[in-house]
Formats: sequence, C-alpha cells, structure tokens
Amino acid sequence: MHSKYTGFKLRRLAVSGISFTFKLFMLVLFLFPFYWMIVTSFKTYGESIVFPPTLLPHTFTLEAFEQVFTRLNLWNYLKNSVTVTVAVIVIQTLIGVPAAYAFSRYSFKGRGIMLALVMAAFMVPTQITFITVYIMMSKLRWLNTLLPQIVPFGASAYGIFLLRQAFMQVPTDIIEAARLDNAGEIKIMTRIMLPAAKSSLMTVTLFSFVGSWNSYFWPLVMSNAEKVRPLTLAIERLKDQDAGINWPVIMAGNMIMVLPVLLIFLLMSNKIISSMGYRGIK
Amino acid sequence: MPYVMVAPAMTFLLVFTFYPLANLVYLSFFRYNLISDKVFIGLTNYRNLLFVKKDFIQALKNTALYSFAVVFFTILLAILFALWLEKDSKINRFLQKSMFTPYLIAMVSTAYIWSWMFDVDSGLLNAALAFVKLSPLRWLNDSSLAIWCIVIVSVWKSLGYYLLIVLASLKSIPSEIIEAAELDNTPWLRKFFRIILPMISPQIFFLLITITISSFKVFDSVRVMTNGGPGNATDVLVTYIHRYAFQMNMRVGYASAAGSLLLGILMILTVFYFRFAGRRVHYQ
Amino acid sequence: MAKIEFLDVHKSFGSAKVIENLNLTLEDGKFNVLVGPSGCGKTTLLRMIAGIGPATKGQILLDGEDVSNIPPGKRGVAMVFQSYAIYPMMTVRQNIEFGLKNNRVPKAERERRISEVSQVVGLAPYLGRKPSQLSGGQRQRVALARAMVKEPKVFLMDEPLSNLDAKLRGAMRSELVQLHKQLKTTFVYVTHDQVEAMAMGDCIILMDQGKIMQQSDPETMYRDPNNIFAAQFIGTPPTNIVEIGSENFKLGFRPETIILSANAGPDRAFTRRVKIMTREMLGAETFYKLCLEDGQEAMARLTNSSLAEGDTLYLQVDEDNLYFFDAKGNRVRKTGSQHYDAMVERVKRSHES
Repeated sequence: MHSKYTGFKLRRLAVSGISFTFKLFMLVLFLFPFYWMIVTSFKTYGESIVFPPTLLPHTFTLEAFEQVFTRLNLWNYLKNSVTVTVAVIVIQTLIGVPAAYAFSRYSFKGRGIMLALVMAAFMVPTQITFITVYIMMSKLRWLNTLLPQIVPFGASAYGIFLLRQAFMQVPTDIIEAARLDNAGEIKIMTRIMLPAAKSSLMTVTLFSFVGSWNSYFWPLVMSNAEKVRPLTLAIERLKDQDAGINWPVIMAGNMIMVLPVLLIFLLMSNKIISSMGYRGIK
Repeated sequence: MPYVMVAPAMTFLLVFTFYPLANLVYLSFFRYNLISDKVFIGLTNYRNLLFVKKDFIQALKNTALYSFAVVFFTILLAILFALWLEKDSKINRFLQKSMFTPYLIAMVSTAYIWSWMFDVDSGLLNAALAFVKLSPLRWLNDSSLAIWCIVIVSVWKSLGYYLLIVLASLKSIPSEIIEAAELDNTPWLRKFFRIILPMISPQIFFLLITITISSFKVFDSVRVMTNGGPGNATDVLVTYIHRYAFQMNMRVGYASAAGSLLLGILMILTVFYFRFAGRRVHYQ
Repeated sequence: MAKIEFLDVHKSFGSAKVIENLNLTLEDGKFNVLVGPSGCGKTTLLRMIAGIGPATKGQILLDGEDVSNIPPGKRGVAMVFQSYAIYPMMTVRQNIEFGLKNNRVPKAERERRISEVSQVVGLAPYLGRKPSQLSGGQRQRVALARAMVKEPKVFLMDEPLSNLDAKLRGAMRSELVQLHKQLKTTFVYVTHDQVEAMAMGDCIILMDQGKIMQQSDPETMYRDPNNIFAAQFIGTPPTNIVEIGSENFKLGFRPETIILSANAGPDRAFTRRVKIMTREMLGAETFYKLCLEDGQEAMARLTNSSLAEGDTLYLQVDEDNLYFFDAKGNRVRKTGSQHYDAMVERVKRSHES
C-alpha cells in the first residue's frame, strides 16, 4: 500500500537545506557591515575610493590608525568615556539598590506615588529634559566639566524598577532569618538581596554601560570644551579637516570605539543573552 | 528608614527628570535666549510652530513616517525571525547572537558605517547594484530615499534585541497547546494568527509602545548621516528642537514649545495604543 | 476503532536511549492502560501514537497502516493532555469546534456534534465561557469534549485525572469507563496509578524503564504476574518477596494469602515463625507487618483484627498461592518447568532447618 506521504521526509530535508542556506545568507548580511568597517580601516585612502570597491585590501596598511592617533588626543576622549561610564554605573548602583530594596520590602506612606513616579520617569526622554538641564549646568558653570554627563543620570528608573522586581522574588523567610540573626539592613542588602538578583543586576549594569558608553546626544549638548568630550564625539573631529571624507580614518576611529563593547560581548555573550530571558515582560 | 533609602533616588528624579519637564512647558510660553531676560509671549510659540512656520510640521511628518516604518518592519521581522529561529540549534543560536551585536554598538558608529556603505561614488551598495547591472541610487542624497536609509539602519541595529524578546515570549507558550493544535489539524497560518499571536500579544503590545516612543526620539543617526537633509527631508523632531535651541540664535522658548509638543505626542500615542490595541491583547 | 502496533520501536532523547526494541499490539475497541512508574516510557509511547513525539526508529501502525510520516492532525487520533491544553483565548464552543473547522466539517454537522457532545459531558450551559472562567473539572471536560467531537479512531489520554481532587477523580473514572462502553472506540490511557489501571482497563500494559513487563487483563495481571516487578507494582500492599536460605530463586505471595495461627497447622507449602511488628487497623481489613526469623519482613492483610504487636505466630501460605521467580526476576510457572516440584520441596523443607 503506497502512502501519499512517502515524499514527506524528502521534502522536509530539502526545506531544511534551503532554510540553512538562507540562515548563512542572513549571517553574512548582518555581520557584513562590521566586516566592511574592519576592512576599510586597513585600506589606503586611495584604495578606499576605488569603484567597484575591493573586498579585501590589496595594500594592507595601518596608516588610517596612525592618523587617528596623531590627529586626535585619543587618550583624552577615552579617559572621559571611561570615567563617565564607570561613575554613572557606580552612582546608579549606590542610589538604585537601596531604593529598589526599600520599594520591594517596605510599605510606607507615599510608596505608591513614588513608584508611579519612577515608572513615569522611565518614559521621559532626555531629548525633552535637556533644555532645562543645559540651563542648569550653564548657570552652575559645569559645562566644561564631566559632571553634566554623570550627575543627571544618578538615578536610573529602569534599574530601580528591574531590581525591585528581582528583590521581590527573594523569599521572605530568608530575610526574616537574617533579621533574627541581628543582621543590619546593609548586610541584608549586600549579602542576601544582591546575590539573589545577580541576573537582573547584570542586565541593569549592561544597560547602563551601553547607554553611557554609546551616548552621543547628551554629551554633544552638555560639553563645551574638547577636554570633556567622550569618544562618541571624537569621530567628528576626524571629519572636519578634510574636504572629502577619509573613510579609512573614520572607520579606524569607529573600530576603536566599538572594540571594547564587542570584546565584552564575545566573552560573555551567553550570559548576556540568558539574562535577557527575563525580559519577556507582562 | 525606607525614606532614607529612597530619598536620594527620588531627589535625582525630581531634579533631573520632573523639574525639567515642568520647566520645559513653562519656558514654552516665553521668548528666551539664555542671555537676556525671559519675555512672556503666551501661545505665540505654539502658533508659530503649528500654523505659521512649515518646518515643524515637516519634521513631525518625517518623524511619524520614520517611526511607523521602523515599528512596522521591526516587529514584523522580529516575529518572522523568531518563528524561523525558534528551535535550539547551533546555527540558530549563532545567528541570534550575530543579529544582537549591532544593538550594543553606538548609534553613531552604526551611522558612520552605513553612511560609508550608502556613499554614492565609492559605496558598497552602489557597487552591489552595479554588479547586478542596475543603475546607482543617490541614497542619502535623495530626498525621498534618505529617510528610508535611516529606517534601514535603525532596523538593522535593533532587530536582534527585539528578536530575543519575541523569542522569549514564544518559548513561554506551553508546548502542549501547540501540540493540541497540531492534533486539531490546524493549518499553519491559522495556528499563527489564532493561537500563537494571541498568546504573545502582551509582549508584542509592549514592543509596539516601546519602539514607537524610542523612534520618536531619533537623533544620532540623522545627525551623522544627513543632518536633516537633503533640505529638510530627514529633519526629525529632536534635530529640529536641538537646532532651534542651540544654533538658530538660541530660541530656547520656541524649542521648548516644540519639546512640549513632542511630549504631548508621546502621551497621546500611548493613550491611543492602549485604547485601540490594548483591547485586543489577550492577558492570561 | 483501530488496532495499534509498535514494530521494533526505538526512542532516544539526544544520547539517552529511553526505549529499545519495543514491540506491542493494542487491540482495537479495548480500553488499554499503559501503567508504570515515572519515566517508564508510557507517555513517550502515547505521544508516538499521536505523532507529536515520533520514534527514533521503528514503525507505528494504525489499522495496519504505517503512520510514521502522517502528521498528527491527519491520523484520526484525539488526545486529552494532562494539563488539558485547551486554548485559553477561545470560548468553550470555539475550543470544541476548532478541530472540526480545520477538518472542513460542514456547519450543520458541526452544530449537531457540538450540541451532542456538550450534553454528554455536561458543558451545554458553559459554551460561551472562556477557560479562565471555568473550574478544573470543567476544563477537563472541555478537553474531553474537544477530543470526542472529532469522532476519532483512537482516544489517547495522558493522566487526565491526576490534577483533579479525589472525589472528582472517582466520579470521572467511572464516567470515562462508561464513555468507552458507549463509544466502543480504542482507548489508550496512561497513568502511574495502579489502582486506576486495574479499575478501568480491559487490557493493562505494565512498563518499566522502557520495557514492557506484562500485558494482560487485570485479573491475570493480579493472579498471574510475569515477574517480580509486576507482582510488586500491582496490589496494595505489594506482593511479599522472600529469599529461601541460599537458594537461587525467590518466593512471592500476596499479603491476603497469608494464614497466621498460633500453631503450625496442616502441612502447607511455606511455613515460618514470625513476630508482629506493626498493626494498622483500616476498618474491614488489618495490615500487619511481620518479621521472619531470618530478619526478612512481610506484610499480611487479614480480616482478623485481634492480633497484637509483639505476638509470635506461624505464617503459612498454600502452594497454590506461591509465586516462584528465577534469579533474573522472571516467573517460573508449574507448567513448563521441570524444577517446579523440586523448588516446592525445598521450600517445604526450609522450615525445618
């Protein structure tokens, strides 16, 4: 008896073969811009403007990178980016963790309103607050310091919200037991709550890091001297000098900016992605 | 005790988030250039923005077009890719990771890389077109095409992130329900629209709101790739506000009015979403 | 109505081999119960019939036709899941109707079937409700109705009663048996509860670690177990298994076949002196835990409740009630074994030593 489904398995195999090929194609599509950035940064200016462009540099050169290092005071920009990012993460943690802890474990008058404010703050974009904050910073004469890039971000509404969720998951019995053991609030926070919320903490820290390191709009508005500008604003300096854009140099500059983040991701990609599993919100 | 723990955070939020919000609306009723005193002019700024000058409306149109295009393509592609890459396999995991990578790098870097690829004379995309014997396009220099270039960049950058969110929500569907549907001989499309989609609708709704709001705030990519041009074909709300606040004689009052309108638009959109889409979301 | 056959079936999850070389025939029209401890493979087999967990190797035949390449929806089987798996976004009516619509059943026929089935399961007043508005028992009926309305060749059920409270479970048990008598379709029912299996099944298939330990009707399963596992899985308390000195066979006997008396009465096959360790009076019967002289234990199940803890008595079992098991745990029966009588002799004499 001949079943009409005999060709079924064969068809399935063919479909998965085509699917696999398409996936490889997608990989190329998505990763190609990175490849292109890398390749361009190792070309000479002359080769970069050749049409049609070469897929691999015929002359492999580091002159683009040399130009980046000589024309820019990279150290200055790098220092600023690192300082701002680290400072923001530290302050957000110091301020956010106690707040999240308080929101999760205490009930106090005004808690509801405050929580609602935190949620609302989450939705207010910096593209709206910047005018007033600029005026504030200008009056304080802070515009030639790193402070405007750090201080306004002291409280992360997103961080407080996420950490509060994580803290609420910790079973009450453990905390009660700790209290019976005479542990102070700080100890409870650091020894019990934080370890339990490791995954959320990682998500929040990553979010802060990426947000700070990649920030462009805010430092653009809030800095009026080169000495306080971060890496994201440095690339523009490479553009102004030339009449036509020297793409290898621009790409080299971008590579330097992109590298730290890519390295972190390569090392911790599995952890990062699994911590995002929590983001299936509501 | 809890007040002590919450106080710093609330102070920061009040000073740097809510006060500026209120101040923004306040300033919108004045003429102000940061040097001389404020002059109260009532609704003049708003009148100019909406009825007298044409450029705000243009920026609004551009932003709206950009946002809805990004929302549409991002969600559509995120769902399609999530369904395609759902099974746990090496190639799927690798593709997910690769698609997520652009999300982590700065928008400015993304903008520079793609500007280079969009370059008219030596860019990769025109080379690809030439390779298949098509004529080159003017990409970022083309007033009707430029905005779509920026859309493409945005989708490329964020798709991986939203893909992971949709994947997580797909995985939360109990497998037995899908198996029951298979035993019910459900054709694929019906399975998607009547079972899968309703079960991930809360997360999709969340994405709808999130992506819309973040799209209305676009600045970095526009500034780097076209700076609003050609003409004002890609001028968006935030580049508009920024320009009027810092470049055109510091018209802070006017810029504040534009900012207030942006805020208003975001709030209206949220309400709109809850009203119309919110009803169709299936909560469990 | 369909006969189900498993031919040389293998199943692995990754590198773990769960089922190897399994052959099984389930007669059509019967209420077949797959029973065994967790992980024995019973649900795996059920899912193979449904097509949602295909075999790694081997064939599954439905009414003689190899269904390995037929998608689940086209096999003519219906399944009730342990978690019910009813569609949460649809009403009861839509849940029941869904499969029919997919199979292009015309509207009039659909209506007829739905009203008939909803009457039978008692869901007629709830057709417009959503699952979140139903109780656990009602949800289970929706799952059942959804299966019934498709008029399948085979009914598959994966522990459908385990999430219900005890009272409801008992009621549903008899309803399902009645349903089977009415429909006369082939039922394949999975459970880990041996009482349920004995009460409901026409044919019980006992499994352990991917192997079939015994396949027979409840009566035979109880009186004539094939191996130690079967003897001990079915029946409460389980069959007593004792060793006889240094012999290479084991002896088994059911708790209710034990005779306890103050004197060693007429010459019965198995006799031992025992001491009563515990006594559980359960009403009509009393369970006694006994300790034999050599330290082995046995459970007795008697209607006599007057014995006390600490009493020393004689335990005796008639030859007809003895089960002999070889070193591998397989049953040695009188017919077909030359050693049977010798073994009985050795057991009789073992008391004297």
